[in-house]
Amino acid sequence: MGRARDIRLAYLLLAPALILLVTALAYPIGWEIWTSLTDLSPLNEGPTAFVGLENYRRLAADPAFWRAATVTVVFAAVTCTVKLALGLGLALLLARPFRGRALVFMAIFLPWAYPASVSVIGWYWTLSPPIPTAYSVFMGNMKYAVDSALGGGAWAFLSVTLFNIWRGSSFVGVFLLAGINAIPPELFEYAALESKSAWRRFWLVTVPLLKPFLALAVFLALTTAFADLANVWMLTAGRIVYPVIGTHAYWLAIHGGQFGPASALSLTLAPFLITALFLLFRMFDPPEREPA
Amino acid sequence: MAQVMMKDLNKKYDEVHAVKDVNLHIRDKEFVVLVGPSGCGKSTTLRMVAGLEEITAGEITIGDRIVNDLPPKDRDIAMVFQNYALYPHMTVYDNMAFGLKMRKFPKPEIAKRVGDAAEILGIQELLKRKPRQLSGGQRQRVAVGRAIVRHPQVFLFDEPLSNLDAKLRVQMRVELKRLHDRLETTAIYVTHDQVEAMTLGDRVVVMKDGWIQQVGEPLELYGKPANRFVAGFIGSPSMNFVDVTVADASGALWVETAGLRVKVPPALSGRLGAYKSQHVTLGIRPEDLRVASGSDSADYSFDTVVEVVEPLGSEILLDLKAGPNVIVARVEPTVRVKHGDKMRLALHPERVRFFDNKTELAI
Repeated sequence: MGRARDIRLAYLLLAPALILLVTALAYPIGWEIWTSLTDLSPLNEGPTAFVGLENYRRLAADPAFWRAATVTVVFAAVTCTVKLALGLGLALLLARPFRGRALVFMAIFLPWAYPASVSVIGWYWTLSPPIPTAYSVFMGNMKYAVDSALGGGAWAFLSVTLFNIWRGSSFVGVFLLAGINAIPPELFEYAALESKSAWRRFWLVTVPLLKPFLALAVFLALTTAFADLANVWMLTAGRIVYPVIGTHAYWLAIHGGQFGPASALSLTLAPFLITALFLLFRMFDPPEREPA
Repeated sequence: MAQVMMKDLNKKYDEVHAVKDVNLHIRDKEFVVLVGPSGCGKSTTLRMVAGLEEITAGEITIGDRIVNDLPPKDRDIAMVFQNYALYPHMTVYDNMAFGLKMRKFPKPEIAKRVGDAAEILGIQELLKRKPRQLSGGQRQRVAVGRAIVRHPQVFLFDEPLSNLDAKLRVQMRVELKRLHDRLETTAIYVTHDQVEAMTLGDRVVVMKDGWIQQVGEPLELYGKPANRFVAGFIGSPSMNFVDVTVADASGALWVETAGLRVKVPPALSGRLGAYKSQHVTLGIRPEDLRVASGSDSADYSFDTVVEVVEPLGSEILLDLKAGPNVIVARVEPTVRVKHGDKMRLALHPERVRFFDNKTELAI
């Protein structure tokens, strides 16, 4: 009897977390999965029909989808790699004490701390100056050169990528700096006692010790890249010349009113993200092995 | 095999002068312990020898090379850190092999050296484990093993036992001493624990505020402390200090204060003569006091009242009051007293020390 009460109490204590998970995660996701299997749309007359995998089938046959998917993956991979490299560099630079470190730290962190809308506009104006000057002519020529070399929309893609890197590197840098600071300095000192080569110390000591932090940083960088709808939208002023999955789905749902296909579209990202999350989590928190 | 010389060694940070004019000659195969309270400069000195801190002024020689401008890796030293500094992502074997791998030793040589060190330390079974699967004592052994495999000229130990519990610390202390006898490698050992310093060191260097206070063999520091600080730092419980006045009475020198009056031992009366009617500090170790018996001279005994009794089993520590002065005495475990009891104490005249009140130097 006491045990039954214990169990009831356990569920009671779990309830807040469960309610939160169900309302904030399970319900929306479930609804989205369900929607992706229907032709739900405010434009349709009559009841919503269950269409099975029809939305997905249509996506697979649509070259626009494959284009958006490719752009998304390239965008995520490029930004993620560059952000990680730059961020790690910044973190290593800031880990050693030097005169004016606080100032450099602020300068590096500012892109992240500043409201996105403001920095997006700044970035947008840097690339497409609003006032005609010699600089704006120069940037105009740049855009023309890039677009004609790499195809229409390449400039827009480049500017979105650069913005994501600019903003994200500072975050990754500060994040990894916290990671470095959490590692006992003796571990680095011991390496310095044993090897002169900074390169070998970096690969044999710094990277493995930072691995959990690197894994988290990669995950955060990936998710921000995939979910980077707002910045893409603002930077290109809504002219989605180079759609990513996110903007494509937004366009379909909000402008096209096609909730079913839009849900299917955004869900295509899920397997990729889940796999990445799983792999990165394994790196972050490897399963303990019992001693032999 | 190497000696280590420090010449006019100084370390200054922006505002702190951490190490001041340290001169020290550590002989080949010697085990030297740097001891002192935290912030005394002992660790900084060690880290300068290792090359982890830059030398502000002065010179460090290891063997016959001045190492001031040599990178740590080329100084031929091996260091053991307080928190062991083992790499969590490597096995015990890889941790121990790290320094040799970095120096591109051939694999069979590495395997042999790691195997030998593991045998010396009794950790052969642990080589495949990761550090987190080890106990504190085992990690400590791996950290020492990592230093041994390098066959360095000098071992540097930075408080290596401070993270262990008391029992393990005593055990590892003995093992380190045995290890040093076996390997005969010059060692510099930093600790804040005076017992560790006394038991391990061939010689002990007592430091305070960046200055060397005294260098000497353990029993020399204990028996002839150069100043009041060393006298109080070495020995546990600490030496008793009482502020007294030197007085001349009936043809002999006496020191006196409220509740306490003892004759100056003849051996010291010559030097104390210069302090007539002045204040000096009387220093007497708890173990040099005993319960007075009929045969004890009244010249070297005084009355006290028992305040606190601490029976330790092998001995009893007594907190006593002689007038306003608090005095700790270490007495036989057979003594039966309680709070408030009156007790006459006798001191050992040859072991009494006096210190100049201004310079704090031994008189």
